Amino acid sequence: MKIAVIGIGQSLRGDDAAGLDAIRKWQEKYPKTANRPEVRVVASELPGLALIDLLDDMDAAVIVDAVKSSAKPGIIHRTSPDELSAFTPDAKSAHGWGVAETLHLGRELYPTLKKLPIRLIGIETEQVAMGAGLSQNVAQAMPELCCTIEDEVQIFLGK
Amino acid sequence: MKTIEVPALARVEGEGGLYIGLENGKAVEIRLDIYEPPRFFEGFLHGRFLQEVPDITARICGICPVAYQMSSVFALENALGIKITPQVRMLRRLMYCGEYIESHALHIYMLQAPDLLGKESAFEVAAIAPDVVKNALRLKKIGNAILSAIGGRSVHPVNVCVGGFYQWPDSQPLKKLLPDLEWGLQTSIDCVKWAMTLPYPDLEIDYEFVALHHPDEYGVVEGEVWSSKGRKLSIKDYEKGYIEEHVKRSNALHSHTVDGSTYLVGPLARLNLNHEQLLPAAQKALKDSNLKLPLKNPYKSLIARAIELVQFYEEAIQLVKSYKPEGPAHVELKLKTGEGAGATEAPRGLLYHRYKIDDNGLVTFAKITPPTAQNLPRIEADLFALAPKIIKMPEAEATLTAEHLVRSYDPCISCATHFLKLKVEEKGK
Repeated sequence: MKIAVIGIGQSLRGDDAAGLDAIRKWQEKYPKTANRPEVRVVASELPGLALIDLLDDMDAAVIVDAVKSSAKPGIIHRTSPDELSAFTPDAKSAHGWGVAETLHLGRELYPTLKKLPIRLIGIETEQVAMGAGLSQNVAQAMPELCCTIEDEVQIFLGK
Repeated sequence: MKTIEVPALARVEGEGGLYIGLENGKAVEIRLDIYEPPRFFEGFLHGRFLQEVPDITARICGICPVAYQMSSVFALENALGIKITPQVRMLRRLMYCGEYIESHALHIYMLQAPDLLGKESAFEVAAIAPDVVKNALRLKKIGNAILSAIGGRSVHPVNVCVGGFYQWPDSQPLKKLLPDLEWGLQTSIDCVKWAMTLPYPDLEIDYEFVALHHPDEYGVVEGEVWSSKGRKLSIKDYEKGYIEEHVKRSNALHSHTVDGSTYLVGPLARLNLNHEQLLPAAQKALKDSNLKLPLKNPYKSLIARAIELVQFYEEAIQLVKSYKPEGPAHVELKLKTGEGAGATEAPRGLLYHRYKIDDNGLVTFAKITPPTAQNLPRIEADLFALAPKIIKMPEAEATLTAEHLVRSYDPCISCATHFLKLKVEEKGK
């Protein structure tokens, strides 16, 4: 069982760094899980279509990213790619390749990716201004976010 | 008054706004608006130690981080009066090959091809031609693999430093890429043939092309800044020929020549000015295509990218085969007060950086001129040229033709902008 744990974000854009920060904090808090040989941890800034490559040869994946819906900042969403429409921007407004678009394309093209179990953990952002750090609501949600990552990884490890 | 709004212009990196004002059937105003806070990075670099600069500037763009690293290290090395070793230079070119490959494969197949194939998105292309999209993703993946092998990771590589590299990458992971690179070379030759079959809109513009030129190689790092109008400047004199101006309505700076003219940077400019320096397989692909240079149709920059895809696969093979790390991976720095400029050819065009540093190696001034800022006035001028044609079209077709033109530039608006919305307004209605 090979599990990819992938944090996505932009380090200089406020809450958009949440996925990257969460992965690093989870590694520090749960080193026993993060250091297991079957677990591959990746902090990836703007992978775009290369997200498909990060899922190569994996049996499961947990992806952590900042999201924007109408929920309160700091709220944690747990979902799977099939339920992604809530976080998919209008297909026409896809600037670059977001997680939703990339997974959609990858699953269209590659049968193995279509079968790959993926859990998505999204944290609701407040601001993504350049140069800003995490907002208070998002920073306060970090411990819970780490627990959520651990929980999702453990579910896969237990299978 | 008639208004068409599209939520955002799809398939460009970043977001901005396109406004076309029509009056009595003529385009009276065309603006490519930019909303992102400008020049954040130039301010962010103040007071930073010079070795932090390549890692920070890499974050300006997720598609071409290497370009931002390369222009910054060459500029800072010039500020310190450092000369890098030939081996470091070769490895930097190899990194650049990786970036060109991943960026061009993305643009050719995923961003512009849907327009030429009459499809709304790469998803639709994938539905009718899955193998084409799979090839595109594999071409791109190989580019990323080069970056990972040298830079530790493909997006925002971490091994580049002022003076060279923090450490020599192992040669084995690079040599292992050779079969993939050979496949990529063949596939990119086929890509040129395929690109020649696509239906490009008619539009010929008498551009002033500007690109780096190097007598011994396809201009990417170092060389002179050449213009098709005959202007030849050293990189340090770039600002004597090309000026950036703040445009009130826009957060991005717009560039023009000292004579006040617009100019074009990017694949068309490089191919037109530097085709004699292409490697043999790329030369042959160009010859077999029967293209007449200079290529003046902005939509056909896709073909120029395809020929460059051949060039950079071919060069990557040569550089990987000859890679033998020896000696120190970087030159030791002796800090001193200084000022230096650097320019390299990002996939989207000339990228110029200039820095001032103090005797502790801290940045006191930073200037970054991205390719898209240089092309913005040119894109607007192209849209004016296109206007008589699109005015006669139904709204949807007019919108698409204008969007396609902007996309053909592969504008990396995230270097300088956010949110691209298309708005066509019929004044007086």
